[in-house]
Amino acid sequence: MEFVISHLVKSYGSKQVLKDVDFVFEEGRIYGLLGRNGSGKTTFFNCINGDIDINSGSFYLRENSGSKDIIKIEPQDIGYLVSTPTVPEFMTGREFLKFFLEIHEEIKPDKTIDEYFDYMMIPEDDRDRLLKDYSHGTKNKMQMLLNIIASPRLVLLDEPLTSLDVIIAEEMKNVIRSQKQGRITIFSTHLLDVAVDLCDEIVLLHNGRLEPIDKSNLGDSDFKDKIIAALKDQDDA
Amino acid sequence: MRNTFTNTLTKVNHLRSIIGYNGLVYALKKLPVIGKHLPDKLYSLTALKVIYWIFHIIKEVSMLFIGKIFGLGMIYLAALLLNKGYIGYGMAEGISSPNLYASFALFMFIIYALFGLLINTRLFKCTTEKEYLVFMLRMNARTLNNTLFIFDLGKLVIGYLIAGIVAIIGGAPFWLWLGIPVLAVCIKLFGAGVLAAFYRSKHKHNKLLKGSTWGLIVRLLLVFMLLPVFMVLVINGYYVPLQYMLIIAAVFVLLGIWGFWELSRFDENLHRRALRDNIVRNEIESYKEPDHSKQFKRLKAKGTVKGDKKGFEYLNALFVRRHRTMLVLKAVIFTIVVLLIIALVLFEFIYGYARRFGSDSTWNMLFNNLINFFTGHGYADALHPFDENAATLFFRDCASKQLLLMIIPLSIADISFKSTQAMYINCDNSLMTFSFFKQREKIIRLFDIRLKQLIRINIWPALACGLFAVLILFNTGGQDYPFQYLLTVLVPVLISVINSMTWLTLYYLFQPFTTTVNVKGGAYRVTRIILTFITIIICWITLNTAVLAGVLTVFTVVYVILLRAIVKKYAPKTWKMKS
Repeated sequence: MEFVISHLVKSYGSKQVLKDVDFVFEEGRIYGLLGRNGSGKTTFFNCINGDIDINSGSFYLRENSGSKDIIKIEPQDIGYLVSTPTVPEFMTGREFLKFFLEIHEEIKPDKTIDEYFDYMMIPEDDRDRLLKDYSHGTKNKMQMLLNIIASPRLVLLDEPLTSLDVIIAEEMKNVIRSQKQGRITIFSTHLLDVAVDLCDEIVLLHNGRLEPIDKSNLGDSDFKDKIIAALKDQDDA
Repeated sequence: MRNTFTNTLTKVNHLRSIIGYNGLVYALKKLPVIGKHLPDKLYSLTALKVIYWIFHIIKEVSMLFIGKIFGLGMIYLAALLLNKGYIGYGMAEGISSPNLYASFALFMFIIYALFGLLINTRLFKCTTEKEYLVFMLRMNARTLNNTLFIFDLGKLVIGYLIAGIVAIIGGAPFWLWLGIPVLAVCIKLFGAGVLAAFYRSKHKHNKLLKGSTWGLIVRLLLVFMLLPVFMVLVINGYYVPLQYMLIIAAVFVLLGIWGFWELSRFDENLHRRALRDNIVRNEIESYKEPDHSKQFKRLKAKGTVKGDKKGFEYLNALFVRRHRTMLVLKAVIFTIVVLLIIALVLFEFIYGYARRFGSDSTWNMLFNNLINFFTGHGYADALHPFDENAATLFFRDCASKQLLLMIIPLSIADISFKSTQAMYINCDNSLMTFSFFKQREKIIRLFDIRLKQLIRINIWPALACGLFAVLILFNTGGQDYPFQYLLTVLVPVLISVINSMTWLTLYYLFQPFTTTVNVKGGAYRVTRIILTFITIIICWITLNTAVLAGVLTVFTVVYVILLRAIVKKYAPKTWKMKS
């Protein structure tokens, strides 16, 4: 399966945030969407998620690169983790999970509610507390858990590790890695180290365009320098 | 010196007009429908800027007239009326009319000026143009603050001198015409001096007053303002002797000189720091949630949903349970108050009847009239017959032909608006990040559940109002036609259904709240204004209850079906996360 973006354009007034974005994402890989602050990463995700209207272009799924059958993206195909997690504050974690499983009648859960909590390492004493009292990290885990249960084909992660402590960030990384099979994961960040550590592919978003980075030397200090230089060059251009 | 003043003032006014003009264009571009068609070029159109400049000057002059001339003019006018009354009743012994006038005017003016002193603490307020000029363009903060302060004082003096013409015509002494502007300047200098002295000693601004403290101050000052009226009209013409008023005025003049001295030693560095601190304070204030959003955050994980509710039914039941006090309280209180009024009126009538005619007759009367009520007849009693007079006829007319007036109390009791705020801030705002929540079928399923829920809560005040109207009918002659009692209850119920449907639809289509439950978006506001206007007109339509119930039933059915279809069609587009 592939996620294809074709000539996507998004402007705010005269300011073009996304200029002719053209890219193909492949199944089973984690893509690190790297860009400077304000480069349009969240706008890109909001466009894909249908939260804001695009000016032109299209995006769709297809079974493989040779396939001509376009699969229109429906809301249930997308799982979106926003950087500032928001959860219904009047529910407890357990109540929210119960509701979520009931609303997704198509899902046949292979775990009990507590097993799901265990999987995400959400502490027992948090499970029956109101979500409004959850820490930032636990709210983030809840969001991730729901996306895992819903099992969407396309997962958009908008800087989900920002402001998490080291332990929770590492736990989240492991979960993201373990969930990459069978879906396309796009992980936005402005932190180069996180992208290099977690992602199979790195895509730069700058000057409103997506550009793949040759990943052959992923992990080299030269590689990082190359990316920084590329971002700087494009910014100065 | 003069050149510096003129240059600074020109720069400030130029910047103000640029900020004002750009703000106006920005606001226009945010307007629904037309906004997106307006080009960015508007920001640079010279012709429009000139037009804006003209309006800017008109606005400045108008502010001068409204604020200064109107304020002092009213005081002079009040003093004139008091003086006339006082002289007219022959109570002015030992004081001339002009001096009495001056005493009244000074008394009210000093209170007025002190009030102005409290609300007008702009000297160290860092407005947008001050921020640009001082922190970006490196202008001398002291020069800027002092220039604007002198400019304000100049406007004050001119405005007060113009208003003083009223005083001269009204018989005020000439010295008052010149004296009040001087006193005003001194009081202003005193106020500015206090701010400067406070900042110099504490290195921070004085604390902002809380809303409740403001309310208290305003009430106190109003009482003081009304004191002369009270003295003249109630306590036999007493007045504060002019000498005392002049002594108080002299004290303020001295305090003004002190203020001037305090300001003169407030150096550039302090001015700059004071402005910077004001920016910091404003930033902090802007991050504080307004009080009205806090009420939605008082949630406790108490209780759960009984029964076998699942999915959205479960979500809604849980939502109502956790927000019970917030959602139901208003409707419950309203219903109880209406029922209490009914109970009190009935008690008063039955108790009076019992005292007059004894308990046996009372039981008879009650039994007979209960039968009358349930068989659709009106009140009847041989001992105490129905007294038809203008008042009873008026109430009967209202209960049988003006039932649309019920829109007013039912709008007050309606909980839909607050419910939608709670839905957004505590539920939908977060669930919108999940794809399932944005699916058409699921949106409409939750919409239906919520509509039923709102109707279930709003129906109680409607029933209470309906019962109230029925009792009026019963007490003033009974039904004019069969089922009139039933239809009289049906009308407010239908109004409450329409209310619930309207608010919920508006919420789904406009998604109009911020996370601090403030209303955003011009379209929602405009729609509300139009609806309020239509409602006010509809309220006064006279219509027989039978016809009204028929029309309303058809209208409600069509309205609900139509709005539901609109929500189903458009909500998947509007029902989305907005940054």
